[in-house]
Amino acid sequence: MPALPQLYPYKAGAIEPIVLPGEIVGVWVNKQFTFFQVDYIEGVLRSDPIEFDFGAIAAGATTAVTQLALLEMPDNEFGQFRAAVIDDISVVLYQGRADQRHKLRNRVASYTKFTDLFDPDGHEGEFYVFNDNNAFGQATNQTDYAVVTARIAFWGFRYVLTELSQYSWTAKPQNLPPTWTRVPATAHL
Amino acid sequence: MATTYLKQAKGIRRVSDIITVTAAATPETLYQRTTGGQNPRTVILRKVMIYNNTGANAVVEIGTGLLAAFAAIVPPLYSLNLFDNEWTEDDLPVDEVGVSADLTVRSSVLGVQVQCEVEEIGS
Repeated sequence: MPALPQLYPYKAGAIEPIVLPGEIVGVWVNKQFTFFQVDYIEGVLRSDPIEFDFGAIAAGATTAVTQLALLEMPDNEFGQFRAAVIDDISVVLYQGRADQRHKLRNRVASYTKFTDLFDPDGHEGEFYVFNDNNAFGQATNQTDYAVVTARIAFWGFRYVLTELSQYSWTAKPQNLPPTWTRVPATAHL
Repeated sequence: MATTYLKQAKGIRRVSDIITVTAAATPETLYQRTTGGQNPRTVILRKVMIYNNTGANAVVEIGTGLLAAFAAIVPPLYSLNLFDNEWTEDDLPVDEVGVSADLTVRSSVLGVQVQCEVEEIGS
């Protein structure tokens, strides 16, 4: 009997697609899951990542919350991304300009130069961008001197989707697909 | 049976500026540790490079603190005139917890050039 693929986000190890074409995902946006079938998957290469530069930052200073415009997705697509900072900065991820990711009640975890060291594959920092639920970042210079560039790189996969309107998270009772994979594309507020 | 010590990286590597010692027997800052994210990082000395073209042999000390607060973290290093010297990881005693301060250098002769490489741990 063939082994079933393990379908879940934040999978440890080198990045893999979280689902296969033809399978169903529930994308978490606006505090509900919306259901789609995956039609097509394509890689965004680690070797030539999507690189964003927050620009020069004074010693110890923090930038404004800035849209990571290069991560915008077309309609009915979501992106699965991992991240690694290149310069000695920390970056807090936002989805929704005001909604931080990777946070506890009193502390927000950020991507730093140490992330690569302890999580070389970047799976703990994986995140998902759906349609126009854009990603934003805020960078802080960790050093005692001005940095000229404040770069962070992203890589992963893009997924082309078809909506399955016959399923509903909000209906009472809920009408859910028989099997589906959760895609946390925004924070759980 | 030989024992081995796993030198697993815990932090990120940084280098100091090349410091030309400006006054004999007077500590000055060699490496300013990074402010870091949650707390200032700690510093592990990994490499020291010295060039001595002063006309005299020099005793060079690496430590923390300025003026009377200077405290060496490695034994004095003897630098011969017109020689360059390198002390690498295998030569240096290493406190894997690191030093919670800037590194300073003191030389018996002014004009010695010193650079160090450190591993910073923290966030």
